[in-house]
Amino acid sequence: MPMTKNHRNWIDRRSFLYGSGLGVGAMAFQSLACASEAKPNVVHHTATASSVIVLFMSGGPSQVDTFDPKPDLDRLEGKDVPESIAATIPKIKRAGIKNLMRSPWAFHEHGDSGIPVSELFPCVANHVDDLCVIRSMQHDNPVHGPGECVALTGTAAGNRPSIGSWSLYGLGTANENLPAFIAMNLHTDGMQFPQGAGWGSGFLPSGFQGTIVDPSTGIRHVTMPPQTTDQQRMDQLELIRWFNDRHLKQSGDLSELKARLDSYETAFRMQTSAPDLFDLAGETQQTQDLYQLENPQSKTVGKACLLARRMVERGVRFVQVRVGGWDAHGNIKANHSKMASRTDGPIAGLLSDLKQRDLLKSTLVVWAGEFGRTPTMEGRGNGRDHSPAGYTTWMAGGGVKGGQIIGATDALGYVAVERPVSPHDFHATILHALGIDANRLTYNHHGRDEVPTVFGGESIQEIFG
Amino acid sequence: MRRFTIALCCLLAFCGVPRADELGTADSSATDSLGWSDQWTMSRAGGASQWFEIRGTGNRNNPLRRKLEKTFDGDQIFVRFQLRYDAASIDTPDDGNGEFFVLWLDENDGGDSAGHNGGVPNVGIHVNGKTNAFMARFSSSSESFGDVPLQGDRVYNVLACLSRSNPGSGHAFDQLSVWIDPKITDAAKPAIRCTSKDAIRTVNWIGFSSGQKTEPSDRISVSELSLAATWLESFGLKPDVKLVRDPAPPPPPAVVSTTPTVDFANDVYPILSQHCFGCHSGDDPESGLRLDHYDELLNHVSPREAGSSPLVLLVESKDPDKQMPPPDGTAKPLSPDQIAVLRRWIDEGVTWDHQQLPTPILKSDHWAFQPITLPEITLPEPPSSNRHDQARTPVDSFIFRKQESLGVMPADSADWPTLQRRIALDLTGLPPSAFPGLDQATSHEQLDQWIDQLLSSQAYAERWGRFWLDLARWAESNGHQHNRPRPHAWRYRDYIIDSFRTDKPYDLFILEQIAGDELPGSSQSLAATGFLAAARYSGNELDKEIQRNDILVDVVNTTAQTFLGMTMECAQCHTHKFDPITIRDYYRFQAFFTRGQPGNLLLTKDAPDAKLWIDARQQLFDSVHTRLVDNKRRSGVPDPVLVIPKSVVSGMNSKERQAFQDLEDAIATAPQVWGWSGADSETTVAPHEMRWPLPHDRAALGKQKTYLRIRGDVKAVGPEVRPGWPAAFGPTPGSVSSRTDLAEWLVSRDNPLTARVWVNRIWQWHFGRGIVETSGDFGTQGTPPTHPELLDWLAGELIESGWSTRHIHRLILRSSTYRQSATFSQSNFDVDPECKTIWRWVPRRLESEAIRDSILAVAGQLDRTAGGPSVADDNDISSFRRSVYLQQQRERIPESLTLFDSPPALSTCSRRRTSTVSLQPLYLLNSDFMQSAGIAFADRLRQSTDKDQSAAVAVRLALGRDATDDEIARLNEFLDQNSIESMCLALLNLSEFLYMN
Repeated sequence: MPMTKNHRNWIDRRSFLYGSGLGVGAMAFQSLACASEAKPNVVHHTATASSVIVLFMSGGPSQVDTFDPKPDLDRLEGKDVPESIAATIPKIKRAGIKNLMRSPWAFHEHGDSGIPVSELFPCVANHVDDLCVIRSMQHDNPVHGPGECVALTGTAAGNRPSIGSWSLYGLGTANENLPAFIAMNLHTDGMQFPQGAGWGSGFLPSGFQGTIVDPSTGIRHVTMPPQTTDQQRMDQLELIRWFNDRHLKQSGDLSELKARLDSYETAFRMQTSAPDLFDLAGETQQTQDLYQLENPQSKTVGKACLLARRMVERGVRFVQVRVGGWDAHGNIKANHSKMASRTDGPIAGLLSDLKQRDLLKSTLVVWAGEFGRTPTMEGRGNGRDHSPAGYTTWMAGGGVKGGQIIGATDALGYVAVERPVSPHDFHATILHALGIDANRLTYNHHGRDEVPTVFGGESIQEIFG
Repeated sequence: MRRFTIALCCLLAFCGVPRADELGTADSSATDSLGWSDQWTMSRAGGASQWFEIRGTGNRNNPLRRKLEKTFDGDQIFVRFQLRYDAASIDTPDDGNGEFFVLWLDENDGGDSAGHNGGVPNVGIHVNGKTNAFMARFSSSSESFGDVPLQGDRVYNVLACLSRSNPGSGHAFDQLSVWIDPKITDAAKPAIRCTSKDAIRTVNWIGFSSGQKTEPSDRISVSELSLAATWLESFGLKPDVKLVRDPAPPPPPAVVSTTPTVDFANDVYPILSQHCFGCHSGDDPESGLRLDHYDELLNHVSPREAGSSPLVLLVESKDPDKQMPPPDGTAKPLSPDQIAVLRRWIDEGVTWDHQQLPTPILKSDHWAFQPITLPEITLPEPPSSNRHDQARTPVDSFIFRKQESLGVMPADSADWPTLQRRIALDLTGLPPSAFPGLDQATSHEQLDQWIDQLLSSQAYAERWGRFWLDLARWAESNGHQHNRPRPHAWRYRDYIIDSFRTDKPYDLFILEQIAGDELPGSSQSLAATGFLAAARYSGNELDKEIQRNDILVDVVNTTAQTFLGMTMECAQCHTHKFDPITIRDYYRFQAFFTRGQPGNLLLTKDAPDAKLWIDARQQLFDSVHTRLVDNKRRSGVPDPVLVIPKSVVSGMNSKERQAFQDLEDAIATAPQVWGWSGADSETTVAPHEMRWPLPHDRAALGKQKTYLRIRGDVKAVGPEVRPGWPAAFGPTPGSVSSRTDLAEWLVSRDNPLTARVWVNRIWQWHFGRGIVETSGDFGTQGTPPTHPELLDWLAGELIESGWSTRHIHRLILRSSTYRQSATFSQSNFDVDPECKTIWRWVPRRLESEAIRDSILAVAGQLDRTAGGPSVADDNDISSFRRSVYLQQQRERIPESLTLFDSPPALSTCSRRRTSTVSLQPLYLLNSDFMQSAGIAFADRLRQSTDKDQSAAVAVRLALGRDATDDEIARLNEFLDQNSIESMCLALLNLSEFLYMN
């Protein structure tokens, strides 16, 4: 239950002016996100991760060109999908079965585990021993918008809470001075409009939704107008407080009104802590190089990845970095090369940096798109169409046993045939790492106890070794 | 000697290719060595044109004429030419002279001096009173003139259309329309129309005639004579005759009927009954899996696909944990023969004997499904309380009775300023200071009168209409990733606001929203169908069946929840676990909507222009699309060849693109609304922008059927179903098929939900919580009503008042219950901590719109312009109109609204939440919007009062009450060190300001 703070001196000029109340988890505050409605933290078992970074590759990266090598495609280039495999492909539009196309990239084995990675990702390839590659992701929606909703909320309609919201709902925040769920949408200039459901709270209270942050400008409205001095703001806050206390008494101690009082306190501290989060001046050149911030191709994702690390460091629970542009209908070679140059260095940098700061073991890093792509060519454009029947994602850190591959697609990389993993399983796995049993995390909505994986997700136990 | 030749560009296929005659002066027989080789070579870019120059002879003459390749016997023919008079040639009719020159279409040539009159269509120049004017005629007695006078030295494009009023060979070409300098959008607006009883019946020859008024000195030039069969062709746009739409609509899934070799009663029933029904039948089957119920059994088979039927997988399983019947149970495993029978039965389509195993009708004794009973109104007996005196409307008697039974005492009436502010905010979303000239009320009767005034105000409708828009999940874009705008959707918002302002009877309100397009004549209400059309619509969906089904699912869920308070979505996949809704009920409900789809509907009933524009646009688009698809196919692209609309437009040549743009621009000017049109309704549908739109094909739409979709999977097609409401509410008569029928059932006396759900929503929006707290779920999983008799009484009042929403408002707002203060009572709290008995007014935060609008009102910035297209809110301060008019594009709903819990408009929202997060104070203190409001508020104070009064006036404006002495002192202390702006900003941050107290 919410702590009452009646006995504390609400206005402490020093803490306001110098932002001294920033200690991570120093105070057992209720969730910043939803002061009046948060549940106590739910822990069903020992967590292996305390934060999650989702690297969401929007548009659909191709599995057979990244982490799922299919030598048979070289042999069958230009041929149709053999009947034995064609018969297993779900009846969905876009599942072309003519004109198989080989991958333009060679694959090499890496690390002690020898996990093959295509030449697209030379930097991430150095981290394969930390990755658990899931080659058997599967769902049935071949359209970007609904597919993204499936990947991040579990249903195509996008009217249920996102996995980030569920995580936050279950865990609560660790730093009330920052939003606990932050989403950054990068390279959204392409066709795929970011789906708000991906960071939305669905039927959960809206306080559990992700806060959209532009990496270059930070959290909106966190900066005081230039003409306002600290003293003026202090005076304003004291005045507001004076009136609000009276109103609270007249209103019979409503918890919601108490939460309002608290929110002003937190907001003031956020004015200090948020700019600090976004100020990268304190990062060494070496660190900045790690994220390839100088490279015009990779600097956008690099900055977001560096910010993601800084957020995790400060106790942000869930960071979602969405990188648009993977929709390679034509000329996959050009498209995926460009996308790899944007992401490969920064993602590898993030993994290295988390590791060297000993944060990787408590941070679950997830790489996924909304679906994969067909092993066949679409039309004659040397690209591939959407395919949710079998695609690849990976997880690292946060208790994940690296250097392993889970599941398999058929000989062409079309359909997941071994240990199919649904997005619901995937979500349950993320929650599991956070110490949450997806079947036992409930929220009462319209009289029903809703759970995160309503369509039957089970966590992938072998991921955790 | 001919000095010029004419280019007769015959666009009709049977006229052959354009041909230029030889051009020159040489008499080739006279000079052997000097002459021309071949035709003129003309630049593809144009730059040269060929003209005939015609002079008069002073008599009837036919200087130029030409025979058609083939007798024309179609129903309409277009002729186009360019015409120019030298200014010096023109005699004015005042001289008793004037001009004459015509083009004719006739059955015969008739020779150089033929008259070509008397039923022969003529188009050209003739004297009309005192001017030379353009004319169309069949004879001197059927002759019409246009308004355009002839000017010299100017090229006119003349287009004529000759057609039959009575189509078919042998009938007269009795209609003639003429356009002068036509634009592609002018099809319905010819400059001249002329008809004749007597007219030619075929066209064989076309020529020009001069007459007595045409003098030898006249210089008349004609050029570019062309023929066309259609309006578009007459503009040089050549639509392919064969139109291929993109992509072809899928044939409706058909359940193939084969001759069954398996008989259900004799072959299948014994197997099921001996091996399965022991556990899996009846009302409480093992694992909830029931096989003696056809609708439920269907969920465990895949008709015609035995191999992928869960039932077969289970009976064939070798895994003892899965195998059915269980190996350790009493039922014997199935023999291979029995399994083969089951397989064949499934492959043949899963026949059933409905006599032997009828589908049980779900019944429920759940309170919400029982008829409304009108309770007696009684007050608690004295001397138990003084409540008798306090009761102002019957509402109070129900509330008091419950309070008394629990020993709870209601709070006293709130003070007048509090009540006035509460009523203003509750009804209009604006503070009392937004109503200039309003005096402080000092009696309940004054408040009653004021409530009546407010209830018919625009401000009331703008607030309460917004609540409805939440239910309708209304937005101005399609949603999903392309999220294209719906520029005409605002008309539904205005329809809603108008409906609230005029207290439209709720039954009519429902009828119009569900079936506005089906209503006859002037009662048609297309704008209202924006309710159904507000569904999201994925523009990237190639599978038209999925695309359509997604929309239908949205429409069903929203309709059921909005009007019935039923959550039907579970039954999309399986029979509802809690409520009496089967999967069949779900798809029967869907069947009301299957033969319709969203689109831009033209609002003008008689809009011949717009209809023609739309047709022309469609033809032009389709022809280019066909051409592009053909080109791609020829270049080896395998089927299906897909070309998106954007590529079609970029694949147009310049002429096509210009015409297309002109048509698009013209169509955009036609009043229309994003609405829903059924296959049978009389609507004209304008195109909308979409990557992969639903095919617009009314005939195909009319043939859509509704099938039960097994496990909710669009591709798992079950039996066809007819429209109907859930069987638990009684049988649906066979005559029921239209959405009008559905709407009539919704408001019929048999329906126990509609009135209850609506009065409960009104109650919720007044008090913050409904009598049924789960206002969107009256099912068994919802909460029971705190005051069931009150709910029924209000529902009865709604119906008896002719479904007047205003009447319900009055009953509630006049009650003592509504007018209580927020005074806390520990003894009441101990008994009823959640205040379910309403023993006091529970303060609640304003909704996002009311917050923004109140800030603008207090700052003196609010722009009260009503209605019309939505306004952008890009940087918070671009518009100061009421929030209901801010653009509502999905995923881009303004921050000022979403930050304070506006719904995302994805699914119906019955009740908003109140979140309290630190981003709100950041916004309220630091945003440009708030800075601007603080400054404007301060300016308002400076202009209206002295500095020493500014604190008092500011409190009055913001909080609707007089400041206390200590508040004045506190504020003045603040002002000693700070600006008025700073104080204003602080006041707009007060809980008291942001709450309805």
